Amino acid sequence: MSSELEHLARGTAELIANADEREAEDAASRPDEPSLPPLQWLKVNLFSSVLNTALTIVFGLAGVLAYQRLLNWAFSHERNWDAVRVNMRALFTFTYPSSQYGRIWVTLGIVLTLAGLSLGLSRMVGQGVSLKRISIWCMAWGGAVIAGIVLVQPHAKRSADGEILLDADFEPVRESFGTAMADRGWWWLIGVLLLATGLAIWVILGDLKRRKTFVGAIPFTLGVLAFAVSTLWWFHWGNYGQQGDIIEPGRTVKDSAKLPWTAMWFVLTGAYLVGRRISATDRAASVRVVVNLSWLLAPFITFWVILRDPQIDYAHVMSTDLPMALGFMIGGGALLFFLTKPDLGEIGRILGVGLFGIAIFNWVAAFFGIYPMLQKARISFLLLALVALAAHNFAGERAQRLRFVYAWAAVMAILHYLVTMINAPSTVDAPDEFVGGFLVTVYIAVFTMIFSFPLGVLLALGRTSTLPIFRVLSTIYIETVRGVPFITILFFFSTFLNIFLPDGMEIEQLAAAGLGFALFSAAYLAENIRGGLQAVRRGQYEASDALGLSTVQRTGFIVLPQALRVSIPPLVGATISTFKETSLLAIIGIIDFLRVANSVIPGQTVFLGVRMEGLLFVCMIYWIGAYSMSKFSQRLERHLGVGEN
Amino acid sequence: MSFSDATAAVSDELAARDDIIICDSVDKWYGDFQALKGVSATIKEREVVVVLGPSGSGKSTWIRCINRLEQHQSGRIIVDGVELTNDTRNIEKIRSEVGMVFQQFNLFPHLSVIDNISLAPLWVRKRPRAEAERLASDLLERVGIPEQAEKFPGQLSGGQQQRVAIARALAMEPRIMLFDEPTSALDPEMIKEVLDVMKELAVGGMTMMVVTHEMGFAREVADRVIFMESGEIVEAGTPEHFFTDPQEDRTKLFLSQIL
Repeated sequence: MSSELEHLARGTAELIANADEREAEDAASRPDEPSLPPLQWLKVNLFSSVLNTALTIVFGLAGVLAYQRLLNWAFSHERNWDAVRVNMRALFTFTYPSSQYGRIWVTLGIVLTLAGLSLGLSRMVGQGVSLKRISIWCMAWGGAVIAGIVLVQPHAKRSADGEILLDADFEPVRESFGTAMADRGWWWLIGVLLLATGLAIWVILGDLKRRKTFVGAIPFTLGVLAFAVSTLWWFHWGNYGQQGDIIEPGRTVKDSAKLPWTAMWFVLTGAYLVGRRISATDRAASVRVVVNLSWLLAPFITFWVILRDPQIDYAHVMSTDLPMALGFMIGGGALLFFLTKPDLGEIGRILGVGLFGIAIFNWVAAFFGIYPMLQKARISFLLLALVALAAHNFAGERAQRLRFVYAWAAVMAILHYLVTMINAPSTVDAPDEFVGGFLVTVYIAVFTMIFSFPLGVLLALGRTSTLPIFRVLSTIYIETVRGVPFITILFFFSTFLNIFLPDGMEIEQLAAAGLGFALFSAAYLAENIRGGLQAVRRGQYEASDALGLSTVQRTGFIVLPQALRVSIPPLVGATISTFKETSLLAIIGIIDFLRVANSVIPGQTVFLGVRMEGLLFVCMIYWIGAYSMSKFSQRLERHLGVGEN
Repeated sequence: MSFSDATAAVSDELAARDDIIICDSVDKWYGDFQALKGVSATIKEREVVVVLGPSGSGKSTWIRCINRLEQHQSGRIIVDGVELTNDTRNIEKIRSEVGMVFQQFNLFPHLSVIDNISLAPLWVRKRPRAEAERLASDLLERVGIPEQAEKFPGQLSGGQQQRVAIARALAMEPRIMLFDEPTSALDPEMIKEVLDVMKELAVGGMTMMVVTHEMGFAREVADRVIFMESGEIVEAGTPEHFFTDPQEDRTKLFLSQIL
C-alpha cells in the first residue's frame, strides 16, 4: 500500500531476514558436540549411580507396561477400526458431496502450492536432520515395533464364520505364543527393516562423517511423505463403504485416494522446487510478498468461492454489483487522488469529516430501517470515509499518490468480489453447513488467527498508549472478555448475535462463531503482546525519539518488532490453544472434527456405540497439528534469537 | 567575574559567535525532588562544552531537557531559535537538529548496523534508500568501522557499538550533538577509540555538549567546562582556568577527589 505500511511490514521481514546471518555464524562457530559410544552413553545417562539405576528400572518397567496396555487395547478383537477407516471422509469433510469432491482437492492443492513456495523461498533454513538422528530414529522405531510384537498378547481365535471363540469362563480362546509370533510376519519384517536401516546408517555412513552429514529437513520430510503416498499404490488399506452407510460402496481407499494424493505430493514438491529456484534470483523478495499476501487471501477464496461454489446471478452482477464495485474503485480512487494533494489544506479534512458523517448515518438509518442499501455499500462507504480522513498522511508526489489509489482499488476489488460471492447462494448440496469435520476446525482456527492477531496488536498498543481514550477502551474490552467464560461468548455469538444486528443483516452461525473466537482470542493475544511491549527497554524509546521518529514509526520499526520477538512463545501457545478450542464448536451444534468422532460415527447403524477408536484418531490428528506448530515456533525462536541479549 | 552564571562567554572570539542553545533559569522536578535549579547557560555555535559534576548533580537531566527527552517545568530552553514547548512540531524539528549519544548506546538490536544508521535518514528525512545507505557507509568509514556494516549490534564490542551510535546520530546531519556519559559503560581499553571519534567531531566544528568523567578529554577538547552540583551550575570557565585555578570550594573538593 503506501510506503508507511510497506515499511511496517518490512520491519518484521527484515527482522526475520537478518536473523539467518546470525544463525549461520552461530552454526559455524559451534564446536562439535562430543559423542559417547553407546554403552558408555547408557552408563553415564541411565546407570550412573544406584539411585539412577533404580529409577531407570522402575520407570522403564512402567513405560513398558503402559506400552503393552495401549497396544493390547488398540489391537484387541473388541476394537473396530473400520469405524475410522470407513468414515475418513466424514471425519475430514463431513457431508461434503462426493460429486463436488474435486473442490476439496483444489483447495488442498492451493494450500500445498503456497506451502511449497513458502518453504522453498524461506530463508529460515536450519541445519537439517543429521544422519545420526535418522539412524537413532530408525533404530528406536524398529525396536518399538519388535517389542510390540513380543508384548501384545496372542490374538483371540475365531470360528470359521468370524465369531470369537470363548472358553468356559467366557474369556476368548487365544492362539499359542509361538503361532502368534509366527502370524506377525509383516510386523517382523517392518521392525527388522527399520532396525537394520538404522544400524546400517550408524555403522557404515555414520562412522565416516557422523556429525557432519545433514539431510535437509524439507527433502527428508518430502521423502517420508513420498513413501507414505506410495503405500496407497501397493498396500491394501481396506475398503470403505463396505459397511458404512454414507459413502459409495465398492470403492477402496486405494482406488479413490491414490491418484489425488499422488498429485498433491507432486504439487507440493514441484512448488517447493520452484520456490527454491526463485529464491536464488533477485526477484525473491517481491515473490515472497506475493506469496504472503496469497496466504492471507487463500482462506477466504477457498472457503467462500471454491468450496462453497456460489451460484452467481449474472443479471444482478451486471446491473448492480459490477457498477457498484467500479464506482467505489474509480470514484473513490479519484476522490482519494484529490485528497492526497499536498497543498490541499482544510478542504480535505472537511470533506473527510463530511463523508464520515454520511457513512455513520448510513448505519444509523439501517438500524431504524429508514432507507435500504446493500450492506456492502455501507461497508465500502465507511471504509472510504476512514481512508479519506487519513488521506492527508499519504500526501506526496504523483507516483506515491497513484500507488495509494491503486491500493484502494485493489482492496475494493477483492472486497466486492468476496461479498458478491458470499451473498450468492451455495450450490453445494449439504444438509447443514456446507463444511464440517476437520475442514471446519481448520477454517475456524485460521480465521481466528488472521483476525485476532492484528486486533490483539491494536489492543495491546491501545492499552499501553498514552492517550486515555484508547487506554480505557482497550482495558475495558480486554478485562471484560477475559472475565467471561469462552463458552458463554460462543453461545452469545451463535444464538443472540443476530438480534443485535441492524435490520436486513444476518450472519451465518459458523461466521458468528468464528467472530466470537477471533474477538475472544484477541483479548488474550493482546495481553501476551503487552508483555512483549513492556520488555522493550526505555532506551529504545529514547533513542527513537532522539532521532526524530514519529510515534507510528517508532512503534512499527523499533518497538513492535522487538516486542513480537519476545512474545513468540506465548503467541504460538495461544495459537495452539485456539486450534484445540475449536472443538468447543461441537457444543453449539456445529459438526466439527471432534463431534464427528464423538457422536456422528457412534450414531451410524453399523458402528453403533463405537466411539473410542474415533476419539483416539482425533487425538492423534490434533496432536500432529499442535506438535508441528510447537516445533515451528521453536525453530522460529532459535532463528530470531529469542532470549539472547 | 561571576561563575554562577555560565552564560558568560569565555573568550571574545566565542562571544562573537551566534547563540545556538539558550537555557534561562530552567527548573525540573521529579516529584518533590528538584533536579535542576534555575540552570542558565548559553552555548555558542561550534562550541564544545563539557559538563562535569558528581553523580546526581543533574548534568544528564539537563542535556536530556535540551532535546526534550525530559520536560522542564519552568524557565525557557531555546535551541537554534526554536523554543521547546509542548508543541509537537517544534519538538520534532529540534530533535532532527540535535543528535544524541547515550551511555548505554541504545542501538536497535534487531537491525543491522547499516540499518540502524540509515533508518532515520530514510524515514524522517525521506531520503531514497540508496542514498541513505550510502550516507550510512560513509559515516561508518568516518567512525572507523566500515567492515561491520552488516553485523548486528550484539556482535560488536562496546566501543564499536558506541561508534555506531555516534554514526547513527550523525546520519541526521545534526547541528548539535549531545553526549550523555558516552564512555561510562565502556571497558577502559575501548574508551580511547570513542573519544578519538568525538575529538575529530569537535575539530570538525560540531557544536557539542558532553557529559563525561573523562578529564583528559575535557582538558584537551573543551572550549568551556561547566561544573554542576545539586542541580545548579557552580562554576564555568575554560579548561585551563577550571583545572588550575578553580574559584569555588565545591569545585576544588570535586577536583581533589577525582584527580
